[in-house]
Amino acid sequence: MTPMLELKNINASYDFLQVLWGVSLNVDKGELVALIGPNGAGKSTTLRTIIGLISPKSGEVLFNGKIINNMPVYQISRMGISYVSEKLNLFTAMSVQENLILGAFAIRDKEKQLATLAYIFELFPRLEERKNQLAGTMSGGERKMLAIARGMMSMPQLMLVDEPSLGLQPNLTRNVFDALLQLRDRGVTILLVEQNVNATLNFTDRAYILEQGKTVMSGPSKEIKANKHVRNAYMGI
Amino acid sequence: MAKDSITRPATQESLMTRIKDNLPIIIVSVFSIILFAAVYIKGGTSQIFNVFITGGMWALLAVGLALVFGVMNIPHFAHGESFMVGAYVAYFTFNPIREYLQQNPSKFIGIIAPFGAILVAGLAGAVLGVIIERGIFAPLRHRTKEGWVMNAFLLTVGISFVLTNGANLVLGPNFRGVPRYWDVDAVEIAGAYMSVDRLIAFGVSMLTIGVLWFFLRRTRIGRAIRAVSQDETGAQLVGINLNFIQTLTFSLATAMAAISGASLLFLFQAYPTVGATPLYYAWYVVMMAGLGNVAGAIIGGFIVALLQTSTQLFVAVSWTTVIPTAVMILVLLLAPSGIFGSDVKGVQEQ
Repeated sequence: MTPMLELKNINASYDFLQVLWGVSLNVDKGELVALIGPNGAGKSTTLRTIIGLISPKSGEVLFNGKIINNMPVYQISRMGISYVSEKLNLFTAMSVQENLILGAFAIRDKEKQLATLAYIFELFPRLEERKNQLAGTMSGGERKMLAIARGMMSMPQLMLVDEPSLGLQPNLTRNVFDALLQLRDRGVTILLVEQNVNATLNFTDRAYILEQGKTVMSGPSKEIKANKHVRNAYMGI
Repeated sequence: MAKDSITRPATQESLMTRIKDNLPIIIVSVFSIILFAAVYIKGGTSQIFNVFITGGMWALLAVGLALVFGVMNIPHFAHGESFMVGAYVAYFTFNPIREYLQQNPSKFIGIIAPFGAILVAGLAGAVLGVIIERGIFAPLRHRTKEGWVMNAFLLTVGISFVLTNGANLVLGPNFRGVPRYWDVDAVEIAGAYMSVDRLIAFGVSMLTIGVLWFFLRRTRIGRAIRAVSQDETGAQLVGINLNFIQTLTFSLATAMAAISGASLLFLFQAYPTVGATPLYYAWYVVMMAGLGNVAGAIIGGFIVALLQTSTQLFVAVSWTTVIPTAVMILVLLLAPSGIFGSDVKGVQEQ
């Protein structure tokens, strides 16, 4: 079986600064996979390469067996990949509802759109309460929820989520993680980038460790968590 | 809920801060009302109509500028040339029909033809917009990494030169105009005599702005245009084709300028540099209202027209450009981001 997402030997750089040095990873359908590592390791760059915001210097990105690097971002997004960036990239002068409807931009069927919207509101009741509020006036946690919800509106097969816990207080972080778990249980495949190593390894299926632009370790989250290097470097134990 | 009880006692203060935040809008509204009253007392209804008719046209031009700046971050200095092209296209469409009508009068064609000429000019503008965007700005966008605003600005100035001198080369410097579009007497409205051409020019500008407003607020593609102006990356992530939206936006703006040039042909005539004056007024409007702010551009159009009309009434006709410019400088000194600020962030700031 071909994995849903496969990265083969990706080299990527910003101008002259190379960030990714031969990154390879794969994500199977239905998995919740974590990508962890220190600051500047290239975690976000990996996600940005998958969605097409950066085109790799060499290597291949395959989605359901099809090569997608060198495709424009909007086409990759329409193929069924959603990217929730760490900056969130919300439409701040628009209402919550308008943001969500734009999330389903590629879905022309109005009824399907409304059905997804109802499903999203069921998943995040908070957003329904605030549906007429401008996205820019919401709190950090609510914005993050909105960004994830907007990413869901296109009914993606795969979601790339970049540091959802960044800048959130612990109980809100738990809410965001719970939401991700619920999505996984409903059949969405997720590739998650996180700094919160301990918590992330507790609820993900598999994990990759990225250091200085290379994947140095991979395996089931439980095994990674028991690894001595990981415990020393990331959990301070 | 606890949060409410903390903020509630501060209501009076928040009213004060609200007034403070909206101070430019309040001052401008008060001044506008006073000026309106003064214009009405001195000039009567005909001058009030004048304000609205001129204002409608500046608004139509300024909306195009605001759109192009908000969505594409281009300070568009070739907008006047779109006006010029619209005027020429309308002239060359309408004039043969006019000559034909002099030989064989027909009431029906006489009524329809000017609308046809304006429509053809709008379509020509839309096509011109697509050509300029695809042929000039798209390649620049793919190559530019830094300094996009400056590069784009210089490019628009270049386009303006090429189009103005191109028109001069091909068509010569002569003035081409029509005495009037509709061969009927002026109509009386509330004691003022208005030519039908002026009334319809106003109607055309309001209709175009109305259609645009509906398009931006209520349709899928219009929403995508606003999305691109607020967050380019976010727009791409939800599956919006940036290139398509940018071409469409530029095309719409060019079409609006061409429509405005066409419907004012009886007033401005068509000649190579006809676009300069409308361009400057449209820029006064967007600078005063706040760059990239579409709603502000509409209101700003009327404010500039009000300033012009009152200058003509109370000072002298020769001061018509001086006073609006002075006011614009004053506004920029006091409120650098314009009267209405801008809820649309330029793409560069993100």
